[in-house]
Amino acid sequence: MDHPPKKKITRRQFIKGSAAAAVIPLLGGELPFYGSLAHAAEEADLVIAKTGSPSQLLQAAMTPLGGMGRFVKKGQRVVIKANIAWARTPEQACTNNPDLLSALIKMCYDAGAKRVAVWDHTCDNYQFAFSRSGLKETAQKAGADIFSGHGHNVYKQLEVPKGKKLKTVEVLRDVLETDVFINFPLPKHHFATELTLGLKNLMGIVWDMEQFHKIDLHQCIADINTIRKPDLVVVDAIRILTTNGPKGPGKTEDIGEVIASTDIVAVDAYSAAFFKHPKTGRPFKPEEIKFVKNAFELGLGQIDLSKVRVKKVSAT
Amino acid sequence: MKRAIPYLRRAVQILSFCVLLYLIIQTAFPLELKIPVDLYLRLDPFVAMITILAQKEVILRMLPAFGVLLLVVLFGNFFCGWFCPMGTAIDFFDRILFREKKRMKGFNDQSLRRLRYGVFFFSLAAGLMAFQVMYLLDPISLITRTLVITFYPPAILIFNHLLPKVQTILPRNPIIVSSIPLPVFKVNLFIFVFFVFILALGVVRKRFWCRYLCPLGALFSIFSRLRIFRRSVTDDCTRCQQCVRECPVGAIPQDAPQHYRQQDCISCFKCLECPPEVTTFKFITPSWKSTNGVDLSRRYVLGSLGFGFVSALVIKANPLQTESGLKNNRLIRPPGALPEERFVSVCSGCGECLKVCPNNALQSTLLEAGLAGLYTPRLVPRIGYCEEFCNFCGRVCPTEAIRALPIEEKRLIQMGVAHIDKTRCIAWDTGKICLVCNEKCSYHAIVGDDKKRPIVKEEKCTGCGICENKCPVDGEAAIIVYSFGAQKKLKPEPSTNNT
Repeated sequence: MDHPPKKKITRRQFIKGSAAAAVIPLLGGELPFYGSLAHAAEEADLVIAKTGSPSQLLQAAMTPLGGMGRFVKKGQRVVIKANIAWARTPEQACTNNPDLLSALIKMCYDAGAKRVAVWDHTCDNYQFAFSRSGLKETAQKAGADIFSGHGHNVYKQLEVPKGKKLKTVEVLRDVLETDVFINFPLPKHHFATELTLGLKNLMGIVWDMEQFHKIDLHQCIADINTIRKPDLVVVDAIRILTTNGPKGPGKTEDIGEVIASTDIVAVDAYSAAFFKHPKTGRPFKPEEIKFVKNAFELGLGQIDLSKVRVKKVSAT
Repeated sequence: MKRAIPYLRRAVQILSFCVLLYLIIQTAFPLELKIPVDLYLRLDPFVAMITILAQKEVILRMLPAFGVLLLVVLFGNFFCGWFCPMGTAIDFFDRILFREKKRMKGFNDQSLRRLRYGVFFFSLAAGLMAFQVMYLLDPISLITRTLVITFYPPAILIFNHLLPKVQTILPRNPIIVSSIPLPVFKVNLFIFVFFVFILALGVVRKRFWCRYLCPLGALFSIFSRLRIFRRSVTDDCTRCQQCVRECPVGAIPQDAPQHYRQQDCISCFKCLECPPEVTTFKFITPSWKSTNGVDLSRRYVLGSLGFGFVSALVIKANPLQTESGLKNNRLIRPPGALPEERFVSVCSGCGECLKVCPNNALQSTLLEAGLAGLYTPRLVPRIGYCEEFCNFCGRVCPTEAIRALPIEEKRLIQMGVAHIDKTRCIAWDTGKICLVCNEKCSYHAIVGDDKKRPIVKEEKCTGCGICENKCPVDGEAAIIVYSFGAQKKLKPEPSTNNT
């Protein structure tokens, strides 16, 4: 696996950088282009970026949050929990958008990350899921490692002290030990839980997912999120799957949004509205998704979007 | 030059064995090797002959084997001594385990030598009757099966054991690689014991198996009698008996070492190490005449053929499929398999499909498919399921017992149908939200009702078994795939994407 090319600092950049370093404390304000030196002020807790290419959307969504430099510091290790669960093609919107993943990895490296790892415990055979979704190639091209959790050796058993029903669980060791943890879900229809969103994406760090179904699926999804709060959530809502979820193929809808936030419950509360309730036909309210409600009750985030600083931006 | 030949032969043997190992290792995802991974089996004229007899139609993949047979007709049997991986294994263990002193004293093997011809004629007759257990003795199928079923899982065990140790040595850059899920095969002990038994026969004679049992060797013997590349000894032979002792197949008679049984010779050229240097190999006009040949009486040949016929009939009449003697409805064949009766007659039990299956779903049968179906592949969903976009088993099957179907066609093959045990299903029994089976189903064949309880749509179910595999109920799953005789093709589903 090859490392990303090291950026040589030219003299001009060095002078600009030193000048910036000297001036920033004086200005105390914004300097959006030097993310690794300082990050811009956080204008919002949840940013929705619309209209633009995947990388533009990501850039637009991250800037009001304070840029990637707020989350990734120089020399840190980053783990991205992507959704590569199924052996489906990118157009079928059952797995992450490759361009967006690529942009996310590059942004982490630009912020100074030492190494970026993309993880998922796939549901289909990992070899087929990785290759058909095109995400293995994408990740490796962007210089990231891509790992599959099909071996028991990469998990660590631990207690869930805050869990209501889930008491012990085996989760990916790398997720626990990494410096920065990014949750990278994509919203999809899901027959059993109505929707699969950011909270549910964390089921892919668990060794025995089926165990959740035996205990209480909705509560376990909330409980697993108490183990490690993601430092950043980036929602891939460029194209979403609205029927036959989570495996598809089904009907898809092009939303063209990227949502970035630090609050996973708020993210889920927002993205639930992409989907229509099968009975009422109206968009889902956050409280109608039980695991979102359970997570809110566990204090994992804010379910009421009126209490969150939401910012909508256009990427172009 | 003469001195180099034994080393050259050993090198070629080791190389040939390594090529087989390499091909077996490559018999896995993504299966993009240019040469066919089942190359050795495709070059095996014994398997080719019997499958074509059993199938009664030409199997294209097996045709290269007849090219090998043609070469043997011209140049004699070079395969056993130089290329056969089974022969390599036997030579190796003969060398390290059984020194000459330890071996049993010489005995007259005249009657034993015709045994493999008996085996060959038996299989010919049995093949004609479409009964395939004789594949179990085919050396190429045997070594492939042994390597895949008995030695591949322990290799993975060692790999997984060493993995964390290697990872801790690596400095800084943390490479966290998942261990490989251990492949499991229920029949591995039987195959292991059989393999050890064959090697242990070396205590009696060098290459005991090759001399007296191997049916492929017998076929090569019959066809190499008219070879043109022959051993020739001048009259200066001192009868020192060196060549008699050295010959690994005992083709040189003690009392007349200037002659040899050209049909038994495996062209190892060990007899070229001749102290008076009177032995050479050269092109000579072929003759059918041989010395001290085996006594293949008409009685013996007809007896073997008759034995083959009768055995095939008896085994065909054996209903042993389940304990009750009824059809085994848990016997799910790989996607694209021929109808059961033809499948068991053509499948050589080589184990290629077991190796290539990415989910370890294919297992070797013991008696589940009856005696005739020994070591044939079956899908065991609780161990692994049939991957939706995989058609590897058909692509590696040397005898086309599993047809190589394009992915789109394979996705429509119905191997069985899933049935829900409502008394054990989490959703039906306890009312909890589960629907793992619905979530994992690749074909939209499981839907949930208004209370989120699963229902199987039979017309869409392919019997891939992902639902049975992932069912969270302990022990036997609450959703089980049953086969119902012949596989059939489902109607293609109109694309639901963005309509």
